[in-house]
Amino acid sequence: MKVAQLLEKRRAGWAELETMCRTLESGGTRRLGPEGVLRFATAYRSACADLALADAYQLPPHTVQYLHDLVGRAHNQLYRSKMFRWRQWGHELFVEVPRRLLFDRTLWLATAVFWGIFFASMALGYSSRSYCEDTVGVDALASVEQSFATPPRGRDANTSGAMGGFYVFNNAGIGLRCFAGGLVLGVGGLLITISNAIQLGAIFGHMFTVEARDNFIEFVTAHGPFELTAIVFSSAAGMRLGFALVDTGGLSRIKSLQRAVYQAVPTMAMAVILFCLAAVIEGFISPSSLPYAAKAGVAVVSTILLLLYVFGLGWLGRPRRAV
Amino acid sequence: MPQPQRQLDSRIEIVTPENIAFHYILAGPFRRLPAYLIDCGIILGFLILAFIVLTMTTSFGGVGGLGIGLWLLLVFIVSWFYFGVFETLWNGQTPGKRMLGLRVLSENGQPINAMQAILRNVLRAVDGLPFWGAGGLGIPFYMCGLAAMAAGSRYQRLGDLACGTIVVVERRSRLRGVARIEHPDVVRMALQLPVSFTVSRGLAHALSVYVARRERIAPARRYEIARSLAEPLAARFSLPGDTNPDLLLCALYYRTFIADSSAGSTPLSPEREAQEMADAEVTLP
Repeated sequence: MKVAQLLEKRRAGWAELETMCRTLESGGTRRLGPEGVLRFATAYRSACADLALADAYQLPPHTVQYLHDLVGRAHNQLYRSKMFRWRQWGHELFVEVPRRLLFDRTLWLATAVFWGIFFASMALGYSSRSYCEDTVGVDALASVEQSFATPPRGRDANTSGAMGGFYVFNNAGIGLRCFAGGLVLGVGGLLITISNAIQLGAIFGHMFTVEARDNFIEFVTAHGPFELTAIVFSSAAGMRLGFALVDTGGLSRIKSLQRAVYQAVPTMAMAVILFCLAAVIEGFISPSSLPYAAKAGVAVVSTILLLLYVFGLGWLGRPRRAV
Repeated sequence: MPQPQRQLDSRIEIVTPENIAFHYILAGPFRRLPAYLIDCGIILGFLILAFIVLTMTTSFGGVGGLGIGLWLLLVFIVSWFYFGVFETLWNGQTPGKRMLGLRVLSENGQPINAMQAILRNVLRAVDGLPFWGAGGLGIPFYMCGLAAMAAGSRYQRLGDLACGTIVVVERRSRLRGVARIEHPDVVRMALQLPVSFTVSRGLAHALSVYVARRERIAPARRYEIARSLAEPLAARFSLPGDTNPDLLLCALYYRTFIADSSAGSTPLSPEREAQEMADAEVTLP
């Protein structure tokens, strides 16, 4: 059969597939209806067959190009991305992540590095003011001092709401950048963790030396556990990505990174949740006029929850050895 | 089956599980930038609109601060997750990508999942380096992403590499039929060609490329290009030496693709043809 005839015969089928692609692109499968979906699959298969035989049919090059485009377009409508699966994510967050955190050495490295340097920097900041000025900056230090000049005696609901939103935007943003930075040259996560620990430690150390010390302590107590843990979690998740580039376990670097992604992302998701919890506390409880005991109570409860999460859930989900 | 890397230009071949191979054009940085700018415009417009609406409604109730708080929460969600959520819900496309016909796919041609969509966009924080301006609102210059794209063969920025994704162009070409050349001279020449001569695949390909493009070539150049193929053919068909090369190629094209000289034979169904092709390949050495 001559090509001209063949094209005439197939043209209707291809045009139908093209129309159905357009319908799917604009409205999804519902607009096509069940029969339409069946017809779509048939039309896709026959277009695929035509493409596979294009060489044998001696189709002109621009027709082959058309078929490549058409089949690619239909393929993207036939195979669709998987939606969020809530149950699967629940399993990830409450079974897989704690287990991974408990048994993954990057978390303990991140914890050790962060808290070690934090306390060292706090001691330095406590003993010398010039150290704080060098690390944090004179202006930043002054603005921190100024913001704690008055005791946290209740903001109106307005300011609390505004600040709550700001804390999510700012802190969770820092956490996500900390996580993404973990990718830089494999050790970016380590560097960012160290720099965060030095800065925070210097501010804490310095604030213990000034008059407004009690105001400062009262403010940071309630949300401290969630927020600092969230920073450690996001550093750990970032380090997991970065270290996958360094220690590949015999895979190519890209493959090793792609494998680490599936471990790091849920951990980061948990960190974002913690940042949001911390922001709610920081916006509404920390600056309120509640007695210090209540704020300390919040801190104790959140610490217990975190310990239960990592050690309790982590231990429950531990990898079982076959007996 | 591992395939040798055959990619020379930005065209990649994807083999689906049904064992069908088709081509995509990879989208380079300069195709992706306009889509990105459109998306940024949408984000900016949405945030400004949301700011106006939220502050207006909440200040009527006397809780303007709550409006600012909600807006900042919205800024966080939209600036970090706009791309990821759209790419999950819209099958690898954001509004900007849809407008310009781009799509994100996994490296093997499968659609991306939610995790890939979210992560490849969170990693914009690295790809966007260096940032002009501070904090979360700095303007990204995407030098890291550009460097990664330049280093690889598939225009993948770091976020793409980490998630195993590629960005392809979804082209919409229109179907054009066989070029119609039914000039009487062509038909007359076609009748002079020997019936026994069968056109090989390579020759058929060359003919159809030539005829598809000859309209856009000046006659003198046409003559020059056609001559290198037409002269040996004319000698083989024992046609006179002054035969017009362009005419000869058109005639051969006409006979191969359009005129049905074998009017008596019954047209085969594609399945039978495919079967016969397969049989022929098996029996041939």
